[in-house]
Amino acid sequence: MHTEATPAQADVSELDLVQKCQAGDTEAFDQLVSRYRTRVFGMIYNMVHNEQDAWDLAQDSFLKAWKSIGRFRGQSSFYTWMYRIVTNVTIDWLRKKQVKGSGAEFDDAIQMKDIDPASRTVPKADALPHQRMEQGEVRARIDEAIAQLSPEHRAVILMKEIEEMQYHEIAESLGCSIGTVMSRLFYARKKLQGLLRDLYENV
Amino acid sequence: MKTFEEKWTAWIDGELSGAELAEFEAALPDRAAAEAEKGNAHKLGAFLKENMPARAMGNEEFFHHQLRQGIAADARTAAPEESAAARPAFWPIGRLVWVGATSLAIFCVCAFFVMREKAPTDQSQYLTQILNARVDPALGPNATISMFELKEDKVTVLWTEGLQSLPSEYATK
Repeated sequence: MHTEATPAQADVSELDLVQKCQAGDTEAFDQLVSRYRTRVFGMIYNMVHNEQDAWDLAQDSFLKAWKSIGRFRGQSSFYTWMYRIVTNVTIDWLRKKQVKGSGAEFDDAIQMKDIDPASRTVPKADALPHQRMEQGEVRARIDEAIAQLSPEHRAVILMKEIEEMQYHEIAESLGCSIGTVMSRLFYARKKLQGLLRDLYENV
Repeated sequence: MKTFEEKWTAWIDGELSGAELAEFEAALPDRAAAEAEKGNAHKLGAFLKENMPARAMGNEEFFHHQLRQGIAADARTAAPEESAAARPAFWPIGRLVWVGATSLAIFCVCAFFVMREKAPTDQSQYLTQILNARVDPALGPNATISMFELKEDKVTVLWTEGLQSLPSEYATK
């Protein structure tokens, strides 16, 4: 797995930062947040498809990480541990949202056409307007397909295909067995293949 | 024992090897269709990866600012709880034991002085004893007998009631 560490940040090892955090050093925690915020945000965004919700859930995840960092024993990498918090927070939120049944799930996909072309949130800033529109449509189809998966299946497919995590890392993050990860991956892939086949076979 | 789904996923991701791989591939009913499915799954993975680029987070500085505020607020709420936890309960066991022991000691001291002052003065100089309280019912059904003894003067008084006559064994020798 890659991190966002700059060379200066990379000088300070992750373990050092974690130990400082455990001693109550908020500056060290700030550095950890800087390293992982984009990946955490990206992962959550791909699960919830709404920028504001993803932002709030990323806040919740990091705050929970700060509160429970004293219990981190270093048996896995900090990021795998962090991912466990992220997936728990996000899956809980998705379940509550499903129970409430409120709001459109694809807020951002619907609004994709309204995004300012100069905005940094546009996937490829140098794309032409018609390309951006096509990308927006493809992205909307992907989001729609992913939204049809259960929260657990979403997490597994995103961790495997987007984050390129190993089975054991996914299992640690989700707190389940490797067999469960493989099984969920099987069904998630089958579902997405059925929903997106026309798109990716034409690429 | 892996299920078919687990083996299939491992095969797609190239995680099967050796005898397990040979066994799985030999068991496939249509190898060509399975290979096509495998290619299809890889296409899907590449398609997702390409079309789901890392989403840049907006307002990064504000994100950090909010997080720092959240941590500070958490510390503020945790501080009173910690101080409350550090403050001893109103009547902890230790305090109860000390108060109990002190009260008992004070009581014993007071009782000692009270008893010591009253004992010599209040004690009667007569020691009353009831001896042979049960008198033979044939002599008198309501008969009682008491004996008073003054130890200093070595005098003993025998007091009887309800007797018709004094039994011979009580006669003064």
